[in-house]
Amino acid sequence: MAHYKILIIAASLTLSGCAGMDAQQLMQLGSNMAGKVVAANKPVSEAEEIQIGHGIASNLLGAAPLSTNQRAQSYVNNVGRWVSLHTERPNLPWQFGVLESADLNAFATPGGTIFITKGLLQHLKTESELAGVLAHEMVHVLSKHHLAALQKAANLNIAGDFAGQALNTQNNPLLDKALQAGKEVYARGLDKDDEFEADRKGIVIATRSGYDPFGLPAVLQMLDSANAQDSSLALMFKTHPAPAARLSLLDKIMANNFDGYASPTQTDARFNAAVATLK
Amino acid sequence: MKKLMVLLLLSCITLPAWADSIGYTVRNTEIKAKPFSDAATLATLPEKASVTIVQRMGGWVRISSSTGNGWVKMLNLRSSSARTGDSGLQSLFNVGRTGSSGITVATGVRGLSSEDVQNASPNPVEFAKLKNYAVNQNQASQFAQSGKLKSYAVEFVAAQ
Repeated sequence: MAHYKILIIAASLTLSGCAGMDAQQLMQLGSNMAGKVVAANKPVSEAEEIQIGHGIASNLLGAAPLSTNQRAQSYVNNVGRWVSLHTERPNLPWQFGVLESADLNAFATPGGTIFITKGLLQHLKTESELAGVLAHEMVHVLSKHHLAALQKAANLNIAGDFAGQALNTQNNPLLDKALQAGKEVYARGLDKDDEFEADRKGIVIATRSGYDPFGLPAVLQMLDSANAQDSSLALMFKTHPAPAARLSLLDKIMANNFDGYASPTQTDARFNAAVATLK
Repeated sequence: MKKLMVLLLLSCITLPAWADSIGYTVRNTEIKAKPFSDAATLATLPEKASVTIVQRMGGWVRISSSTGNGWVKMLNLRSSSARTGDSGLQSLFNVGRTGSSGITVATGVRGLSSEDVQNASPNPVEFAKLKNYAVNQNQASQFAQSGKLKSYAVEFVAAQ
């Protein structure tokens, strides 16, 4: 009702300035605007979220293809899908890919597609560390961090602009706009707080899945000990807070709360076997 | 005794996760005889003490230092300001940047820069492969079972 009032006032105020517009056209304009207002309050549907995410995933695969190592791909998918069952969105079409890149990095796209680079996978030591990295990425999906960021980047009202339109993958200017914004967001990174949230919740999701809670912190220690000038870390360091800052945050929240969980040891052999096959 | 055996066994088979990596303490840190909070305290490191990290086990790392050797809490340590020069990543993995070579790469290792991400075009062929690698919930549960993984109910921790 409040929206309606505003529209009527706006229409009255602009009436004098709209010489070429008759009353009927104004009514039409008002009704279109009212439609937008309603649509803006409607959340992005899961189907839309998945479709945008798949478009971004296809773009990322344009930047780096998948590793051809099927064993490693299948292994990472098994670990990731198991961990995903311990999130609040277990029924998303979760899929995981190892990117053929020597860089150390990992990515999440809306709707449940997660990538880890071969370079990062080769620097991990245990399945728990892998689970920690994947769980961190999953939080970006669960909290829709990228969806919000690309909406902001494109000044795009995803819910409003997309409402009522079929998201066809071909010749869809709105999807194109979202995907173009996606490239910016992935090159620039998320807000620091999004990354901290992903660490904070990621350790819990990994722990729920039976993994060593200290897997993710161990990866951050590894990154902390690496040379920040190393070219293989350039994009990761550009798009994330410093590892030491992330460790300090986990230091505060983990305290003694995660000491009671044993590290799984029965997963070491398969981790080593899968990662050893990566060339 | 059994715990000790397990520890000995683990120290033999665990990969040298942080072999000879240098860290420093961010607060006064007790050196424990074993990786448990209630284990005997052997010595106490002051803040900013330098240690050599030998091995990680859960939230604990085995260290050697001029003050003593033993186990300390991992999150009492940082590495960044202890770093000197190259991390070795580059030489170890021989990161060969192929520059802005675009979408398809025929040979060798390459990086993934922000330019690569910004200039990328969709790769539907690779995306189709990605879908094929996905596993379903049952497969993932079987995988977990074979690794003797158990699920736990754990609440998220509030931000501080």
